[in-house]
Amino acid sequence: MIIISLLAFVISLNSPTDPVEKLVLSAANESDLNSESSATEQLRQEVRAKLGLDLPVFIISLGSFADCDTLYRIPERSHQGMLSSLTSQYGNWDEISKYYHDLVAYSKKIDGYKPDSVVAKNYSKNDLNELLNSSSLTLKNILEVSNDEQIEYAFNNLGEKFNKHHLLFDEVAGELSKLKGSYANIKETSSEWKTYIPALYWNGFKNQYFLWLFGDSERGRGGLIRGDFGNSYSDNKPVGEKMWEMFPYSFFLVIVSIILAYLISIPLWIYYAYKKDSLFDRVSSVIVFMLYSLPSFFVATWLLYQFANPDNLWWFPSNGVKNPDTFNKDWAWYSLDKIRHQAPYFVLPIISFSYSSFAFTSRIMRVSMVDVLSSDYIRTARAKGLSEKKVVLKHALRNGLLPIITMFSNVFPAAIGGSVILETIFGIPGMGSAVYEAILGLDIPMIIAVFTLTGFLTVIGYLFADILYAIVDPRISYNKK
Amino acid sequence: MIEEQLTYRQYAWKQFKKNRPALVSFYVLILLVFVAVFSPFLANDQPLYIEYKGESFYPAFRTFSDESAQDQVIDAQTGDTINFIFKEVDWRRVELESVWWPLVTYSPNQIDKYNRDYTNPNGEQRLRSATGEIIEMPSRLRHVMGTDKLGRDVASGLIHGTRISLLVGLVSMSIAVIVGLILGASAGYFGDFEIKLTRLQFWFGWLGLFLGYFYGFYVRGENMSLAFREGALDGTLSVLFGFVIWGLVVFIFSKVGKYLSVGSFLRKIVYLPLDSYVNRMIEVLNSLPIIIVIISLSSLVSGGSLWLLMVIIGLTGWTGVARLIRAEMLRIKQMEYIQASKVLGFSNFRIIVKHAVPNGLAPVFVTFAFGVASAILTESGLSFLGIGVPADVVTWGSLLSLGRAEFEAWWLVIYPGLAIFITITVYNLIGEGLRDALDPKHKK
Repeated sequence: MIIISLLAFVISLNSPTDPVEKLVLSAANESDLNSESSATEQLRQEVRAKLGLDLPVFIISLGSFADCDTLYRIPERSHQGMLSSLTSQYGNWDEISKYYHDLVAYSKKIDGYKPDSVVAKNYSKNDLNELLNSSSLTLKNILEVSNDEQIEYAFNNLGEKFNKHHLLFDEVAGELSKLKGSYANIKETSSEWKTYIPALYWNGFKNQYFLWLFGDSERGRGGLIRGDFGNSYSDNKPVGEKMWEMFPYSFFLVIVSIILAYLISIPLWIYYAYKKDSLFDRVSSVIVFMLYSLPSFFVATWLLYQFANPDNLWWFPSNGVKNPDTFNKDWAWYSLDKIRHQAPYFVLPIISFSYSSFAFTSRIMRVSMVDVLSSDYIRTARAKGLSEKKVVLKHALRNGLLPIITMFSNVFPAAIGGSVILETIFGIPGMGSAVYEAILGLDIPMIIAVFTLTGFLTVIGYLFADILYAIVDPRISYNKK
Repeated sequence: MIEEQLTYRQYAWKQFKKNRPALVSFYVLILLVFVAVFSPFLANDQPLYIEYKGESFYPAFRTFSDESAQDQVIDAQTGDTINFIFKEVDWRRVELESVWWPLVTYSPNQIDKYNRDYTNPNGEQRLRSATGEIIEMPSRLRHVMGTDKLGRDVASGLIHGTRISLLVGLVSMSIAVIVGLILGASAGYFGDFEIKLTRLQFWFGWLGLFLGYFYGFYVRGENMSLAFREGALDGTLSVLFGFVIWGLVVFIFSKVGKYLSVGSFLRKIVYLPLDSYVNRMIEVLNSLPIIIVIISLSSLVSGGSLWLLMVIIGLTGWTGVARLIRAEMLRIKQMEYIQASKVLGFSNFRIIVKHAVPNGLAPVFVTFAFGVASAILTESGLSFLGIGVPADVVTWGSLLSLGRAEFEAWWLVIYPGLAIFITITVYNLIGEGLRDALDPKHKK
């Protein structure tokens, strides 16, 4: 579990988007879009604090001797990337930091630059705005790129612009050359050797991972161990709540399909053992084989085409699950009407879900059956003159069941993995489709929540399998002797 | 009766041949490989051979080596020189003296604007003729499996998708088998109490693990992201190179640690529990919903990349191979010939590579066949969802997902579905046949 949580955490760190931007965007959508930039800035600060992005990542961090160990304090993620890339190229943090501060200050200055009003009269208002905007954009661009050529190009670009309109920019042009000087300084005093010396930084226990795991009341985070997965990036709702809404759908489908698959395949398997090497055996083995090779998404699409098609057989709705409350609020959860209302939405999904589980189980059963029936003790049992019924039910069945029980622990992750595709096809608002959307929208807390939950379910699956083992095989005992 | 003296390999092949479905599957697989290899010449909008105004050209071959190949021809009647770029000529509309078309006369991404909006394979299909009028499609040029919304040919997409499917299955399972063999064989052979290290060496090994990561990946981070910008293959190679550096650093450090071990405390022998490490890794990987892991990893690279997808599927799929070969190794380790070679003083490396692994390889072939099938299934599932595969690459899964949008277009569901089905069945049957053939227990 710890490893899974760490893994999920690592994946979340490497996601290419900046979570702050996403959350701020979704929060801004709720209020007014044209909020003042200072308000956005403040919001950004709050979100950063809540996500703990102003903290180091882990207790310790591995880096090079040249690195700055407090890089995470810089708010913009793109700037962080630029700085770390520059450091790994030139390895002299002091100069780079000076360059960065100069650059930020300069960029702010250009942003708020009001040219001399006498000179500004020579330009039309549009031209003036255009000039100022483009130069501030160029500077913002310099703050994000680390490639030498790109930086030089942008500087030259800016310099030319300033030369051309030197009257307009005479107050700020001087500082540009200073900035260029500090960039040249980075390259001159480059100490690349420093990047080859590893260094370990101690960050203490106030770090992102601990915040994520244990929470912090000051920041309003419960932490994973208190069941707080954080807020979804897409709509800023707590992931835990969203999970509770979706979990029943997926769990219901997975459980029903697994039970159905077992219910069908175990009797089939017994019958199969009776009729070994008959025509039935050969035909059914071919069928089982074909089932196993048919991708479940193909079966699902085909089912929809056949049975949820207005031009063909329109027996079932083609997608989604309707909330029965919108239809009639007075139904109790167990009422027959409600079940009748809900059932059509679930028929096709259940068929597809249990189909894929069934193909999986019956295949493993067939293999185990061939093994068991050709083993020596079955031959002995037959030689003793036991009836075929006894041979199959008493001797073969228990041993044949072992691989299926082993499989039980893998069924949960497999079913949830499979549900990603199937739920998307049928439009069921369960965990699978949620994970699909979360991945497309890079909604990391959601992905982590699903990861953690499946890990948990797998552990339960293992437990279940172990208990069943002990029941089926008396030789297996968990008591110490 | 005279018993034939057969080597194991001959015996296995003989057994395999007795299994009719497996043998047929084997031939089908050869056919699929043929289709995959020659797909540019089986489905192309450029004819294989044309005779145009008295001269012979080979457009499909010319454009295969050079996308923007061009040529010229002199019109005998007017004496004008006509320059043309092969790719830009629609040869269907040109009057040619003689023409040899490929099997399917369309390229997978070519948009046929006269047959868009899901043209039925059996229905009416239109063509703009040389004279400019819209006529009924000649039967040789028809879309035999229909088109999608934009007017792209389904048959051509299927043929080109074969290459991607087979490649994904083969490459990803090769990666999985290599990783699984290395980890599983060493875990099984060495176990928990075989590798003896001095205490300092153990510590230095861990140190090397961190430093190797540092030099292999941290320092080269810039390079790596640059390589990924160049292309996914470059990026993958760069990552692999990082792993090589990592391994080298660990090796050097453990050697240095051994050399530096002085004093009774540092020289104390500890064991490296390799088996436990590998088993824990397998357990963790197995408890994750692999498809979700694959989806989230492949979504980290924007736009998607086939090579990355193959590597990810490979790196998450090695557990089966590792478990098998580990079990085989546990068995083989006890064999007399292994003990004999130990007595002869062979190095562990030689024993594993030359004596132990080849004898445990038979079940790996079986897993390989089944693994290829499931890798193809994973890939088609992912491209069905539109994740991890670049949008301009036509695969079986992406064709199938087009069919989901329009129920009328049954040909977009049936044909790709059948293609996936056949390929997976073929691999599974071969796997089944191999298992029966390689396992003496199933001797008939």
